[in-house]
Amino acid sequence: MAASPISVSRHCCSSSSAYSNSSSTWFHQNPSKFLFPAASPKTKNGSLQFKGNAVPSVIFMQDGSLAAAVAGLENEAPWKKLKNGLTSVTPPEEKKQLGNFDVNDDKSTVTITVVGASGDLAKKKIFPALFALYYEDCLPEHFTIFGYARSKMTDAELRNMVSKTLTCRIDKRENCGEKMEQFLQRCFYHSGQYDSQKDFAELDKTLKEHEAGRVSNRLFYLSIPPNIFVDAVKCASLSASSSAGWTRVIVEKPFGRDSESSAALTKSLKQYLDEDQIFRIDHYLGKELVENLSVLRFSNLIFEPLWSRQYIRNVQLIFSEDFGTEGRGGYFDNYGIMRDIMQNHLLQILALFAMETPVSLDAEDIRNEKVKVLRSMRPIRADDVTIGQYKSHTKGGVSYPGYTDDKTVPKDSLTPTFAAAALFIDNARWDGVPFLMKAGKALHDKRAEIRVQFRHVPGNLYNRNFGTDLDQATNELVIRVQPDEAIYLKINNKVPGLGMRLDRSNLNLLYKARYSKEIPDAYERLLLDAVEGERRLFIRSDELDAAWALFTPVLKDLEEKKKIPEYYPYGSRGPVGAHYLAARYNVKWGDLGVDE
Amino acid sequence: MAKLLSNPCCYSSSSTTFSCFHNESLCSSRNLAAVPISSHFSKWAPNNFTRIQLRSSNFELRSSNGYPLNAVSLQDEGSVDNPLAEEANFSDSAEGDSTLSITVVGASGDLAKKKIFPALFALYYEGWLPENFVIFGYSRTNMSDEELRNMISRTLTCRIDQRENCDDKMTQFLKRCFYHSGQYNSEEHFLELDCKLKEKEGGGLSNRLFYLSVPPNIFVDVARCVSTGASSTTGWTRVIVEKPFGRDSESSRELTRCLKQYLSEDQIFRIDHYLGKELVENLSVLRFSNLVFEPLWSRDYIRNVQFIFSEDFGTEGRGGYFDNYGIIRDIMQNHLLQILALFAMETPVSLDAEDIRNEKVKVLRSMKPLLLEDVVVGQYKGHSKGGKTYLGYTDDPTVPNNSVTPTFAAAALFINNARWDGVPFLMKAGKALHTRRAEIRVQFRHVPGNLYKHTFGTDLDLATNELVLRVQPDEAIYLKVNNKVPGLGMRLDRSDLNLLYKARYTREIPDAYERLLLDAIEGERRLFIRSDELDAAWALFTPLLRELEDRKIAPELYPYGSRGPVGAHYLAAKHNVRWGDLTGED
Repeated sequence: MAASPISVSRHCCSSSSAYSNSSSTWFHQNPSKFLFPAASPKTKNGSLQFKGNAVPSVIFMQDGSLAAAVAGLENEAPWKKLKNGLTSVTPPEEKKQLGNFDVNDDKSTVTITVVGASGDLAKKKIFPALFALYYEDCLPEHFTIFGYARSKMTDAELRNMVSKTLTCRIDKRENCGEKMEQFLQRCFYHSGQYDSQKDFAELDKTLKEHEAGRVSNRLFYLSIPPNIFVDAVKCASLSASSSAGWTRVIVEKPFGRDSESSAALTKSLKQYLDEDQIFRIDHYLGKELVENLSVLRFSNLIFEPLWSRQYIRNVQLIFSEDFGTEGRGGYFDNYGIMRDIMQNHLLQILALFAMETPVSLDAEDIRNEKVKVLRSMRPIRADDVTIGQYKSHTKGGVSYPGYTDDKTVPKDSLTPTFAAAALFIDNARWDGVPFLMKAGKALHDKRAEIRVQFRHVPGNLYNRNFGTDLDQATNELVIRVQPDEAIYLKINNKVPGLGMRLDRSNLNLLYKARYSKEIPDAYERLLLDAVEGERRLFIRSDELDAAWALFTPVLKDLEEKKKIPEYYPYGSRGPVGAHYLAARYNVKWGDLGVDE
Repeated sequence: MAKLLSNPCCYSSSSTTFSCFHNESLCSSRNLAAVPISSHFSKWAPNNFTRIQLRSSNFELRSSNGYPLNAVSLQDEGSVDNPLAEEANFSDSAEGDSTLSITVVGASGDLAKKKIFPALFALYYEGWLPENFVIFGYSRTNMSDEELRNMISRTLTCRIDQRENCDDKMTQFLKRCFYHSGQYNSEEHFLELDCKLKEKEGGGLSNRLFYLSVPPNIFVDVARCVSTGASSTTGWTRVIVEKPFGRDSESSRELTRCLKQYLSEDQIFRIDHYLGKELVENLSVLRFSNLVFEPLWSRDYIRNVQFIFSEDFGTEGRGGYFDNYGIIRDIMQNHLLQILALFAMETPVSLDAEDIRNEKVKVLRSMKPLLLEDVVVGQYKGHSKGGKTYLGYTDDPTVPNNSVTPTFAAAALFINNARWDGVPFLMKAGKALHTRRAEIRVQFRHVPGNLYKHTFGTDLDLATNELVLRVQPDEAIYLKVNNKVPGLGMRLDRSDLNLLYKARYTREIPDAYERLLLDAIEGERRLFIRSDELDAAWALFTPLLRELEDRKIAPELYPYGSRGPVGAHYLAAKHNVRWGDLTGED
């Protein structure tokens, strides 16, 4: 298993290989259509390692399509040729890497250890994502899953706990019960302290038993509070590293709370791990539409000339939740919305949006470009931020508590639950274009989207139809990340009928309407990438540093000055301050317009 | 009224030829002050009155202009802060005086029954016609007013059946319809018509519109009689003519010359009903009011443009007219070429008719005449499918058995200007094909240095962006984009960013004839074809048509109901194009 995914992933087709597996059922139905003349030896190896449920010859075919990123069934005709024309390429350096492990191995295993297995994230996201990957045949043939936590539990108890949250993505799919059973058989539990090398050494012993002498690759998912990251990493590294294969560690935010603490965390982690063993997850980067952002930009000529200050007036990154902390404010209160959402999720999306075209889709090339964007940005000025906090609100007889009514939150907390900020990228492409961010809890709706507002048409022949504010009727591209993934482009067109009334309507693509397949959870993609060593969607240390450098001064300023957030009612559209901030840069929030 | 605003009515270029219809009394300073942009020429005054009146009777459209879009959509009935409100005042005082009469010459014909009268009724129903109007049918058949009304009433429908007062409105409309029987070449008979018209006009200012729904060989006779026998002495007189405008450069020029003996250029309204289609109207809006299209509209980004027209039926016993013209004259030289010109023209100085037509002429004159090698012709043959037999073109009893008239043609055209040099503009039109459609397809170039090249294979042109404007059926705009298939892999897919009119606009889209009739009434010439445009259009096609006929080039036969002759593919291939409508994707 180790060989193929790594090799492929290096030039960023990890996902293709995943695809070929996950779609095995699809190929199954149409085997005759996919006779590929050749598959590289590498892919053939890969196929052997996957635990496919298809007959070998079909697997072979399906891997032949490895790099074949092709259209859906409905329009296969024009694509057939493409499929045949595809080749998979392995850059030379990868072959070197391959040499380490062996390639020929039904002998290699992957063990995924979820550290903090009894936690919420593990139950709700990690185990279900692992099961989905298993169900879709994306996991290698030999894999084991270990839960590790302090609680005492037997394997059976863990399985019981895990099984409660497992679902087949589409309920009626076949063999679901059976698959679950098989999956649970591969799940084990080990109890221990997070800072005990001894306990990890015991884990190591158990792992070895399961690995049964095969080349072992180990992935640790640290689903634990940040203050014990380093301890757990130390123990995992010293006592439970794989001696023959790779060892990787996935960590989730928070990565510190400012430049200094983040740098310190990185430094500590690096005592025990190499940079390329650390997989910093930002689950927003695993979202379908965020992945699609680069595809849209770089595979459609029509967007190419538009993607600069010449045509784009402003960009808005919007995140909102329609619920508050709801009794779980303890962690949040220490961080606030800017650290929780903006400095990571929104800033990452911004960097992907604004980066120059990378040399290739390789992780390092993409991350190099992202870092360049972040480093071209000015640190956010205190003036360019507006913060808010939700207060209680009664509506229709239901009373919604304010943030400080939450028992886990200090009564006098000034932690922002809402923030809006204006950012600028001082490079040739984006000079002067405001990038506005907005994130909040307890707002009127739940959404995450990117809005790109274009400039008005110079010398517009239809000026009269638009009145005095030409910016009101400009084109706008909206990429809705959630809910209901969609892409739409607002265009001006004529209202049908006699006369010449113009109207903004949407050229749109609603995913639900076009793609019946359920969109995989971000965690599935990220776990798979980590297993495959694909680093594109994980955050590199220098990216993290650059991101903190932008936010740290303003965060310090807010905290030192004890800036009072503007209060807004639970379930409202957020503080009006956000509008004034936008107005200062001649922007109008796209999500609060009448036509939304 | 919206048209008024979008077109500030500067018909200045044509004003000098029109002096006989001046009405100095209307050229008051008040008029000028009230409609500063509309008209500085008194002859248009009646015209303004008409539109102003329309404005007051059709609020929805009235609210359209001068406002930001949001405001427009929110605007309510009866808002008075309309910048045009002051104009409305004087229109009230004036409208009583002027009368519009619309005479349909050839009233018993098919087009009149199916299109013209229903379109007039729709305009009336929607409140677009001025208060004082009469409609006259004129043809050789002897008929009473009552009989005409009877005949008309059978084809009238309210566009949406359940709409209120439909019957009432119909009755009122029919009361305004009259009939006069006469020969098409008799000035005497037109003088009689003139008397009847005068009677209805009641001595006020009269504007007269004649719709020539008669065979082309009597166009000139009718124009002569209209001009000498039934012109308005106080207001304007306009004549609408429909294709065919000749069958080549010479005959077209001759027709124009003859018409101009009796009519001035701006009295002649040459209709091309494709220009009245909603999506064709929208083409300019899309191009010029969306910044996102602005950088794309040139050879730098566009690889080719396709204009596709197909009908799923043949001549079906009415091949007599068609056989004399063929598909190239019937569809390409006019409809498709007009759309091409609108598509490719440079940005006009304004939306005024003369500015737009100037730009269209420039495009046409920048094009090379078609060469035989850039054209493929076809003719449908009989075909049996599912036990049903479809007749071939020459099986039609009205068509000569040895006819080589093309019922299908595909052509490659080029515009030799800075914007379009080297970009193939492909046209395809045919009868008796597998589907009925009319659309414009714009295929973009491939992405240079595409990062996702691996996923596209060797032919990068197969996965380029494409913009499709579907004119019929089911008006729609869609843009094909590459995106990622949701899922764990990196599979790319071409999907559509789309706007289906049916889904967004519940209101029925007006027939092209409604728009064009209204424009003729209002003197809006944007969608009518000027003589020099017509000349330029014929200049492109005449050499080819002549060669086809002189050499009796045999068309490639294709089965009724098929996708047309394969020759079209080879023609496209020669220019490195792939027809967008036959890919299996649509």
